[in-house]
Amino acid sequence: MYYHPIQQKINNSEPIIFIHGTGMDHTVWTLPVRYFSRKKTDVLAIDLPGHGQNKDKPLDSISKISTYIYNFLDKYKIQRCSLVGHSMGSLIALEMASSRPERVKAISMIGTAFPMQVNEALLESAKSNPQIAINILTFMGYSFSSRLGGNKTPGMWMTESTKRLMQKSKKGIIYKDLKACSEFTGGLDKAKKVEAKVQLILGSNDFLTPRIKAQDLIDNFNQPLVQEILGSGHSLMMEEPNKVLDYLIQLFNN
Amino acid sequence: MKKPKDLNLETLSLHAGNKPDSDFGSRATPIYQTSSFVFQDSETAAGIFNNERAGHTYSRITNPTNAVLEERISSLEGGIGAISTASGQAALFLAITTILGKGSHIVASKSLYGGSHNLLEYTLPRFGITSSFVDFRKPKNIKSAIQKNTGLIFGETLGNPGLDVMNIEMVSNIAHQNKVPLLVDSTFTTPYLMKPFDYGADLIFHSATKFLSGHGVVIGGLLVDSGNFEWSSNKKFKTLNEPYNGFHNMKFVEEFGPAAFINRARKEGARDFGACMSPHTAFLILQGLETLSLRMEKHISNTREIVSFLNEHKDVKSVSYPELENHPDNKLAQEILPRGCGAVFTFEIEGGLESGKKFIESLNIFSHLANVGDAKSLVIHPASTTHHRMNTLALKNAGISESTVRLSIGIEDINDLKEDLDEALKQANR
Repeated sequence: MYYHPIQQKINNSEPIIFIHGTGMDHTVWTLPVRYFSRKKTDVLAIDLPGHGQNKDKPLDSISKISTYIYNFLDKYKIQRCSLVGHSMGSLIALEMASSRPERVKAISMIGTAFPMQVNEALLESAKSNPQIAINILTFMGYSFSSRLGGNKTPGMWMTESTKRLMQKSKKGIIYKDLKACSEFTGGLDKAKKVEAKVQLILGSNDFLTPRIKAQDLIDNFNQPLVQEILGSGHSLMMEEPNKVLDYLIQLFNN
Repeated sequence: MKKPKDLNLETLSLHAGNKPDSDFGSRATPIYQTSSFVFQDSETAAGIFNNERAGHTYSRITNPTNAVLEERISSLEGGIGAISTASGQAALFLAITTILGKGSHIVASKSLYGGSHNLLEYTLPRFGITSSFVDFRKPKNIKSAIQKNTGLIFGETLGNPGLDVMNIEMVSNIAHQNKVPLLVDSTFTTPYLMKPFDYGADLIFHSATKFLSGHGVVIGGLLVDSGNFEWSSNKKFKTLNEPYNGFHNMKFVEEFGPAAFINRARKEGARDFGACMSPHTAFLILQGLETLSLRMEKHISNTREIVSFLNEHKDVKSVSYPELENHPDNKLAQEILPRGCGAVFTFEIEGGLESGKKFIESLNIFSHLANVGDAKSLVIHPASTTHHRMNTLALKNAGISESTVRLSIGIEDINDLKEDLDEALKQANR
């Protein structure tokens, strides 16, 4: 398992674990990781198996990935943690919090929906020609406004940055990630089992996981905190990094 | 499933990076003519400084007007991000010093703009960075010039002023086989004529003074990162993959992944070297970019007519333009520059140096000055001006003789330009 190098202490900590989405890696969390680290909170921004600098074999289901992370936590004697997940990462957070509720203090699901069905044509593209899938995911992953830029982080062109990150992912990763999202079942029942504090951060202009498709999840959690970012698409940490951070601070400071 | 449709260059030239401002709805990009930015509170200030929050602190490092320009050029080139600089030279210096230091080596094209040649040949060696200049038409020469400490390969899309067309795909293949990035000066071509990242370049810089701004009213540079080069685990690039004391031991490749280079360039180079672009300059370049495609179309159509006109003129010995069949890069130019080979070219005048001087002084519409890429037509004698610090061999390598005249063709009426040239040629040989 690879995790963000800013974290000094792992053993016996109660970290916030940041879990990235399809084809991504830990670098999507650099800003909040730096914040919580400065505040002396233990943080782990991980690369899922086969992603970024994690050399382990990629996994193709949300439950396998959850088990993989729990094994990692066991290895370092981490009994409890909080989870922040984006897109596919949000489903992993849900799976972890529902399967071992006693081990999770809080979860933040960013850019999420259930079911997270993936169009067959997109899955096929991801399998046979990942570049097409990358183009579609990037295009759908931003609001129309953000496709024209206006990045809060000065000088960075958002859509191409996202493409580049996905292009650097290993062969077959995007297909496996999308398949894992698409085949994730029982989300609403799992939501009912979650004992942790729950937050959902949603973009009003999200084309991949539209706001309306998170409503069933919201209805099945116990008093979730729902934060909607007006105008944002699915790439909330890129499109609205400061608002995402403020909402995370709100969750973890309470 | 509906296929995604990216916006085209003509649309991005007008819109990329800019949103109507949230306070007053200004459609044009506002000029944030301010040195610094008020922080909401101490915590926000600390967050921006520590790279936890997006935002601006000080205009030497970032500025909202410049940020629009940086996004726009990134979008046009297909890059992940950019930095605006005080000049094209500042962009070149920033690119080099972000990754190289004492003991590093550059393999550069022998056909470079005089200012770039000066930097590499005379100035950088004082800081321990040396360069070898080779003919980029010969892959063997590039390969044999690469040393253990070579950390960069550098050339121009169209060499200045000889218009050698760089075979970017071939050069980038050699660079990448040797785990070295390729930096390309794309000033003469602009993204309208060619996008070097599509052919394998890793970094691009522009003198935005030229075609991008297009009106000869500003000095500015832009450095663009493709985000493609694999910096991690390459021991040559310690600035990116080892802890940086100057930013709390930040390891750029681990915190920013593909954006390691551009982040280091901003967090170190923009901060410490200080060669920043003024917001007003950024605004003027943005204005220029809005009409880039229209101007380039006219620049190219005028250039093609004038190249043809001079090529048949009795007082002209030869014309060097890649679209001419006798140019050594004619075939390559047809492949990678189908929209045109730029609007700058050279010709040899009959009668040598004295005729050249007389010709330049007899022109009325063409302005005699040291610039290119203006909407107005320009002329200069490279051997005695822009390239005068080069020795005879270096001049020859760059394709410059004493009778070489360089023209930068503007967007005036084509017949007026032809008449001006014709009359001056008559005067020169009278």
